[in-house]
Amino acid sequence: MTASPAQALATAARAVAASKIYGSGDTEVRALDAIDVDFEQGRFTAIMGPSGSGKSTLMHCMAGLDTVTSGQVIIGDTDLTTLSEKDLTLLRRDNVGFVFQAYNLVPTLTAIENITLPMDLAGSAGDTAWIDEVVGATGLTDRVKHRPNELSGGQQQRVAVARALAGRPQIIFADEPTGNVDSNTAGEILGFMRSAVDQMGQTIVMVTHDPVAASYADRVVFLVDGKIVDELADPTPQTIRDHMTRLGA
Amino acid sequence: MLRLALKSLLAHKIRFALTAGTIVLGVTFVVAAFVTADSLRSTFDEIGVDINTGKDFTVRGALGFGEIANAPPIPDNLTAGIRAVEGVEVAEGRFFVDGVIPVDGSGEAVSTLGGPLAGVNWLEDESLSQYFLIAGQWPQGSSQFAIGAETFADYDFELGQDYQVVTPTGPRTFTLTGTMQFGFPESAGAGVVFSVFDTATAQEVLGYEGLFNEIDLRAVPGADLEEVRSRIEAALPAGTEVISSEEAAEEFGDFFEFIIGPLQTILLTFAFVVLFVSTFIISNTFNIVLGQRVCELSLLRALGATPRQVRRSVLIESLVIGLAASAAGIGLGMLGALGLGALFDAFGASLPDGPMPLRPRTVAWAFAVGVGFTVIASLVPAVKASRVSPVAGLQESNGDDGGHLRLWRPIVGAALAAVGLVLTGRGLFADFDSTTAQLLSLGVGAAVVFVAVAVLSPLIAGPVVSALAGPLPRLLRTPGRLARDNAARSPRRTAATAVALTIGLALVAMVLVVGQSLKDTFSDSLSSALRADYIISAETFSGVPKTLAEDLRGAGAGTVVGLDQDVVQILSPVAPDRIEQTEVTVTDLAAIGEIANLDVTEGSLSAIDPDSALLVNHDRAAEWGLSVGDPVELMLVSGETLSVTVGAVFTETQQPFWGEWLIDQSLHQQTVAADAFEQWVAVKGTGAEPETTQALLEQVLSDYPQANLEDRQQFQESAESNLNTVLALVNVFLLFALVVALVGIVNTLTLSVFERTHEIGLLRAVGMTRRQLRRVIRWEAATIALYGAIVGVALGLAFGVALSVAIPDEVIDRVSVPGVQMVGLVAVAVAFGLLAAIFPSYRAGRMNVLEAIATD
Repeated sequence: MTASPAQALATAARAVAASKIYGSGDTEVRALDAIDVDFEQGRFTAIMGPSGSGKSTLMHCMAGLDTVTSGQVIIGDTDLTTLSEKDLTLLRRDNVGFVFQAYNLVPTLTAIENITLPMDLAGSAGDTAWIDEVVGATGLTDRVKHRPNELSGGQQQRVAVARALAGRPQIIFADEPTGNVDSNTAGEILGFMRSAVDQMGQTIVMVTHDPVAASYADRVVFLVDGKIVDELADPTPQTIRDHMTRLGA
Repeated sequence: MLRLALKSLLAHKIRFALTAGTIVLGVTFVVAAFVTADSLRSTFDEIGVDINTGKDFTVRGALGFGEIANAPPIPDNLTAGIRAVEGVEVAEGRFFVDGVIPVDGSGEAVSTLGGPLAGVNWLEDESLSQYFLIAGQWPQGSSQFAIGAETFADYDFELGQDYQVVTPTGPRTFTLTGTMQFGFPESAGAGVVFSVFDTATAQEVLGYEGLFNEIDLRAVPGADLEEVRSRIEAALPAGTEVISSEEAAEEFGDFFEFIIGPLQTILLTFAFVVLFVSTFIISNTFNIVLGQRVCELSLLRALGATPRQVRRSVLIESLVIGLAASAAGIGLGMLGALGLGALFDAFGASLPDGPMPLRPRTVAWAFAVGVGFTVIASLVPAVKASRVSPVAGLQESNGDDGGHLRLWRPIVGAALAAVGLVLTGRGLFADFDSTTAQLLSLGVGAAVVFVAVAVLSPLIAGPVVSALAGPLPRLLRTPGRLARDNAARSPRRTAATAVALTIGLALVAMVLVVGQSLKDTFSDSLSSALRADYIISAETFSGVPKTLAEDLRGAGAGTVVGLDQDVVQILSPVAPDRIEQTEVTVTDLAAIGEIANLDVTEGSLSAIDPDSALLVNHDRAAEWGLSVGDPVELMLVSGETLSVTVGAVFTETQQPFWGEWLIDQSLHQQTVAADAFEQWVAVKGTGAEPETTQALLEQVLSDYPQANLEDRQQFQESAESNLNTVLALVNVFLLFALVVALVGIVNTLTLSVFERTHEIGLLRAVGMTRRQLRRVIRWEAATIALYGAIVGVALGLAFGVALSVAIPDEVIDRVSVPGVQMVGLVAVAVAFGLLAAIFPSYRAGRMNVLEAIATD
């Protein structure tokens, strides 16, 4: 199941003393407090933590959607803190995949157009064979010409994952990807993400508060008050719950 | 509910401003129209009072019919009889002739910006005449004159020197003895140039021998004015009347209503076009906004608000917007009136400066239309809002209202279209008693057609917009694709946004088609009907002196024919029930065949007796049942009647030179109504070299500074250029409707961008650059504009063609479509769309990606 040791050593993305501070003086809030974290290539990492722990902020900063106040965020060899707004946009387009909780798809575009959207924005055709393979893996080959409102919630999320995979980004960030679907559908989506890591060697970082969802990951990072307080390898729902209880979450 | 409505408005200031903005523009226009017209009214009212102080009564010729400006002169020997009436302190006769031009020491002819060039006699009693001597002496005898102090200051004149004055009886030399001013001494001359002579000289030089326009008189102090009046009336012969100075002042002020009234109506018409267009914009804005507030409205409903309360809160909101917009519009309208003045200046039609009265009627109208149109626009959205169910907010909605086009739409739309077309058709082709009723039928018909278009447009907007924006995905890749689909995704919204542009452009296109048809008709008929090589017209309102034609003939310029128009009433025993007030062309019937191709179909020009002949256009002859030999009576404004006989029937009428009824000048010259001027002089050369003829003409014309010589080509060009100026002015006013349309596109896009927050956030997250995003919005706007423009130009073409066909053939006998201009209009509309996208696309680009994708 686990990726090869050679791949496991390489880092897809990392944060070095990354801090995100809102306000100043008495009203200062440290959403991220000098965080150091690595996300290894070809692994599936879950970020967990109670509400307000900074897990979403961490993901946004890692993904180039938001900027850190101090420290560094690195994807591949690129230090995001040195990039302009435009370069950040191009980095997201070419090197990062996204799966959000909702509003993942552009309603006027068909499923396949949504999947190829980042490549279309870049003006490149993409790797057609690879895209076919990704679409095949979603099990939606016969529905790619449908618009989002003709697909179920689970199908929409699978299209979103396919879009994230289609450009073979260095890393995919998923923000509560199963927050809006029932548990059967959630299993489907998480299974699909798991197989993307196992069979396609994709790197995925997922923010979640659901121990069952997190148990699909290879590793769970626990955040409290903007700091990484704990880690868990090869988690199960039960071990995750135990950790959470210990952390008082 | 009131507090809720107000809070809701304050919470969304941009939305508030966008909604109110279009109505403000309309109200501004209404206020500017009234203030401009009222300013003119007060100016003329004041002048009327000023020039009528110092006298009690005026005696003048009674008018047979028509306007007081055409009142016939009276014999000067009436003065003695009036002076003899008991209670009359002083009575003096006076008159005024337009077109008297002093030439200054440097040889420059004095000119005005449209004001009269008045030749007058001075009166012994300055208070009676309101002519006040400023310097020197009043002129005495046949070789002296005085001028207005303003002219004296502006031009190169010195007292005691000799100057040429161009009079109706030809150019003469006079010694300048003094300067004078009209009205109160401190008041300016109101833009009038005066040349003043003593009474006998004035009568001789200005062609008024034995005549006055009027006799002004003042009663002895303390006399009973009513008694004096009846005594004067008893002493007067038939054909004269007495009016008091108050009546005269009021009459003077009212007289200009013939131009101020239509000016006000025209400006208000444009204002209503703007308001009409705004109504669609506001209605659409309300619809979108309420769609976005479904959550809020359903919460209200869930908390126990009745549908009626929801409806009322929306209506209160619109009422407040209407009130605020009206108040702002009144303030801006005062500025707008100044702007209108500047606009007329720019188009060479200066209005006099005057006070800018804001009358209660103006304020009332401003609030009535501002609030009225806003509330009307919010009726449908308010009803829709009240139907929001208490659980609607719990359901997911992206605000789009795409696929829900109801069955009522085609039915109601078709019914409205039918009503509109019937009204328009009736306005175009049916007979009406009054022009007002006809224009009203046309206007209401067109408005109903536009509403029908607005109702039907969503039915076709989806596919048409997709087709129009078809090339976008290929040209601009994904941004183009998204732009096209965004424009097509809510046909109702796109159609409602585009309809404002449609209306504006339809009107512009219609004006351009009718204008082009008019130009082409005119230039074609000019080349076939006019044989003259040269046309001489006057820069002054009065025309050129009749002596000009004699001088040209004397110099051997060739065939010279004067052409003038006079107002008459036509009667004939052949058609006893008919009476028609129209213009008769006064010309030289013996020579007209040389300069005009009348295309005589009955009778012959060579066989007629000029002293009794009437030439009639064949259409009118058919209408009246007239043929050669039939007797006709022409009644002049003086009440005199000319008995004539139909001498020939002809086909070609060529305005503005000759109309449908022609008589000889020798016949007209015998009447009191005849004056010393004519409108045109047409010259057919002798066959000499054009340079020789031209030099000869210019030699003679050097004595007539007001004369303007043009060959056929030049005349046609200047006529076209005048028409182009009018068309341009009309289109400038219609531009305001296009500005409203622009605001409409800004509104829709701003609200759509806000509505698509999540979608835009997603696009930005997965790598759409700001540039690409702006491009999406820009081309969505351009697509909406293109759709509105194409529908508008098509509609405008249809209106223009119908109008060109309906207008009588003498004026427009064909349909000409200015293709390049039509394409230009579409291009301008697309440019408007791109312009409208600047603000919304900027906002979209600045949108915070994180907020946009946040789910809670």
